[in-house]
Amino acid sequence: MKISDRVRKLRDQSLNAVEKISAERALLITQFYKSDEARELSSPMKRARAFEFLLKNKKLCINEGELIVGERGPAPKETPTYPEISLHSLKDLEILNSRDKVSFRVEDDVKNIYEKEIIPFWKGKSNRDRIMSLMTPEWLNAYDAGIFTEFQEQRAPGHTVLGYRMFKTGFLSVKKEIRAAIENLDFFNNNQAFEKLEELNAMDVTCDAIIMYANRHADELERLSIDEKDNKRKKELIEMADICRKVPGNPPETVHEMLQHYWFIHLGVIIELNPWDSFNPGRLDQHLYPVYKQEIESGSLTADSLDDLLGCFWVKFNNHPSPPKMGVTASESNTYTDFCLINLGGVKPDGKDAVNEMSYILLDVIKEMRILQPSSMIQISKKSPDRFVHKALDIIRTGFGQPSCFNTEAIIQELLRQGKTLTDARNGGASGCVETGAFGTEAYWLTGYFNLPKILEVTLNNGVDNRTKKLIGLKTGSINDFRVFDDLIEAFKLQVNYFAGIKIRGNNVIEKTFASWLPVPFLSLLVEDCIANGKDYNNGGARYNTSYIQGVGLGSITDMLTSIRYNIYDNKKISWKDLAIALEADFSGHEPLQYELIYNTPKFGNDDDYADQQAVTVFEIFYDSINGRSNTRHGVHRINMLPTTSHVYFGSVTGATSDGRNAYLPLSEGISPFQGADHNGPTSVIKSASKIDHLRTGGTLLNQKFSPSFFEDEESYEKLTALIRSYFSLGGHHIQFNVVNAETLKDAQKYPERHSDLIVRVAGYSDYFNDLGEDLQNEIIRRTEHEEV
Amino acid sequence: MKGLFFSVKRYSIHDGQGIRVTFFMKGCPLRCRWCHNPEGISPLPESVVQTNRIGTHKFSHVEEVGRYYSIDYILEILNKEKVFMNHSKGGVTFSGGEPMLQAEFLLEALKVCKEKGYHTAVDTSGYSSVENFKSIIPFTDLFLFDIKHLDDVKHIELTGASNKDILNNYLLLTNCEKDLYVRIPIIPGMNDDIDYLERLRNFLISTKTDSLKRINLLPFHKIGSSKYKKFNIPYNMEGKEPPGKVKMQELKEFFMETGIPVKIGG
Repeated sequence: MKISDRVRKLRDQSLNAVEKISAERALLITQFYKSDEARELSSPMKRARAFEFLLKNKKLCINEGELIVGERGPAPKETPTYPEISLHSLKDLEILNSRDKVSFRVEDDVKNIYEKEIIPFWKGKSNRDRIMSLMTPEWLNAYDAGIFTEFQEQRAPGHTVLGYRMFKTGFLSVKKEIRAAIENLDFFNNNQAFEKLEELNAMDVTCDAIIMYANRHADELERLSIDEKDNKRKKELIEMADICRKVPGNPPETVHEMLQHYWFIHLGVIIELNPWDSFNPGRLDQHLYPVYKQEIESGSLTADSLDDLLGCFWVKFNNHPSPPKMGVTASESNTYTDFCLINLGGVKPDGKDAVNEMSYILLDVIKEMRILQPSSMIQISKKSPDRFVHKALDIIRTGFGQPSCFNTEAIIQELLRQGKTLTDARNGGASGCVETGAFGTEAYWLTGYFNLPKILEVTLNNGVDNRTKKLIGLKTGSINDFRVFDDLIEAFKLQVNYFAGIKIRGNNVIEKTFASWLPVPFLSLLVEDCIANGKDYNNGGARYNTSYIQGVGLGSITDMLTSIRYNIYDNKKISWKDLAIALEADFSGHEPLQYELIYNTPKFGNDDDYADQQAVTVFEIFYDSINGRSNTRHGVHRINMLPTTSHVYFGSVTGATSDGRNAYLPLSEGISPFQGADHNGPTSVIKSASKIDHLRTGGTLLNQKFSPSFFEDEESYEKLTALIRSYFSLGGHHIQFNVVNAETLKDAQKYPERHSDLIVRVAGYSDYFNDLGEDLQNEIIRRTEHEEV
Repeated sequence: MKGLFFSVKRYSIHDGQGIRVTFFMKGCPLRCRWCHNPEGISPLPESVVQTNRIGTHKFSHVEEVGRYYSIDYILEILNKEKVFMNHSKGGVTFSGGEPMLQAEFLLEALKVCKEKGYHTAVDTSGYSSVENFKSIIPFTDLFLFDIKHLDDVKHIELTGASNKDILNNYLLLTNCEKDLYVRIPIIPGMNDDIDYLERLRNFLISTKTDSLKRINLLPFHKIGSSKYKKFNIPYNMEGKEPPGKVKMQELKEFFMETGIPVKIGG
């Protein structure tokens, strides 16, 4: 890909734009909710009219030189709020403005608007207030203790990805589908017919609204073209106006139309509400390839113009930070980005290899654009050519964490196990971090992270939260009652089951709040079979409806249990009392014991069955306590294993642990070993990680750290490819290579205990960084600096 | 029967084809000045003090360097790594030290590994008897063979041993229909002057057979320097600097004229 001046400028604009809170949406939504019209409407129609009102009145933004138009806010990175979901207080705004990390500038006029207009209207009325008032004391206790988090507390349910259908159709045909569904309503036998009618009429309103919004852009582009002096740009603006008149009402027929078509849909979704994780175009190489091929053959598209279009499209994602969070939610996902995970590769609906020319073109775009959003991944199937993986490794080696690698066969099997059709499974992929979903047909809501190590801590304290000294769990007995290791496991199982029950009960109430008060008629147009069912996406309208709870800290809890089994039960090296005292003191004065726990106790991540067995035990307990339990949308709860950044928050509420970890430090992330616990290198990590049954989850996350020197030539790419394929043959779901930079190495030199898993390579030889002498470490740091791109 | 080892390396990617497990056998008859595995020199187990830190607290314990492994134990490890070998056409490498120093054990280990279907490699200085080599050839798929210097006098000076047997064994291996990677350490001021390298190149050309699959140029590095301190051995490469990237690239092109693929590093 050649980055043109145009794209470079837009990219710079995006990178340099300051994240800011915009009060525009909050003001408009408040205005609408206050109106007489709003008061008289049913929920779906109210939300549809609100959507229409937003799109009719929001300021348009067309950036200089861009080819794809539309911004969620008034300008790039000006980020709206969603007071109907959660209301920022003035203090929240102050914190957002001043906090160190992930801050959003809040201008005085925004604070004024909030003080005078937004807060007075929404106080006590946001869905967050509603949720909190509906939760039981048990739920609130567990939530406060950090046993679990709640995704829908500040965000709407999201987790869906656009499938094939909407890339091939326009909203005018969607309106026809709605008409047909209305005609099919059976008012004689179906007592839901009226509700369905309301919902379908609401959907119809949103079709018109998105077309109107596109036409507003067309008007604006025509207006701009009149004043434009540069003839080339003038022509572009006229062409862009024509495209905005055509899509998304009509099906897109060129690459440019398709990208603009998608972008209007994307904006519709993220303006309607603030769904977790960001909606995304999913299998983009598959969607684009047919039109691309047609256009290249007919000569209507050149390589340069394609680069420009894709570059402009890429920047759009980066212009849209994740809506600002507050409180706990900010620390569980402390990031600007919303993980628009573009999927490349995989297999086609007929099972054939899906890697095509567009897959390579998009990899090139990822490499050259080098921006955080959209995020990207490759789906590697048994049929994917090595060349495809090598090309991805070539980007990974530059150390920006993209693309990550996914196992297509695992994704398909996970979806099949859940009852999806083979075609829907093959059209699926992963979104967010690693979450498996059937694209275009499934609502797979993530509902909250689940702190497994904390639950063990509560178990060891007979149901009491050590931090607050409050009884939050079951009284499953004191440590002295655990005669054998399995007694402890039994108690832990009861506690996990108890907290899973609390969480699921909460989920089933929260889901209903969205179904009742916050339907999403626009998003419902996009996911099959909401129209046919006459039901909202937030009310179980989709073909598949899944609720996920994400297990966190597998590595940590495995090591904690292994340590107890090894040191207390099997080898009787220490007593429960010794351990309890040392944990209470956070190992202060008990460093020799801590040393034993860290250095002389088996750990997860070394392909040691003795330790890994506890991972399997915990996995099965977690799985049994959640998998298959009903949600309110004719679907069930399932598990996945990913942390985003919640392992840091969960660590901060968990005291010292029996694996030797000091109080309040981060837990292990994903299914990776605890930082520094693995000593045998990547093959052992992979073997340990594959002992749990990935195929019964909706995604697992495994991180591996490497220095750039593991990526030095074609031969090393071949070996890394074999490493990935080996993991996938063992049923692994996902692996991501973090190529460390010199800064990390410097940190490792300073704090070796935090980085004992760090492997580097020096001249034909690789070793743990900590094992090297200081002069050599310096040499490697210098070389890594030199290699960095 | 047991062998003495000082290290096992998984995801070993520089000691032959594919993803391998490399077993480092303890004990070496040579005393190469640049040796980066000084812990592999003594044929006996050694104890070193290992220090770890927890915050400001330092903990030391005595670590045994050198453990006796049975062939069953070796197979156990290989079995764990099988999936990676299958996907990468990898296998097992016996390195050192000098693995030929424990020729009897090595032969048994190779035999059993071969029986189990593993691709086998031996990473050797070549310093052993012709008989020993002849005995392992049937069970070895790949030899990684060092040529440190062609001149006997110089060889004795640099490694403390004559190269007569080494060169004989080299000739034997070029004619045994097994794969051979010749590994040339590039040690500044010791074996890197251009006249010598030209002679070495001519030697490689004149003895070239289909067996010779690759030339590895191994640039001198200081990875072992900190180990010297740990093992209380005087380090005699102080002040020597590793050859630069440009020089290695030049040498690579220089050796490519042999018509054999050349790689910098293993």
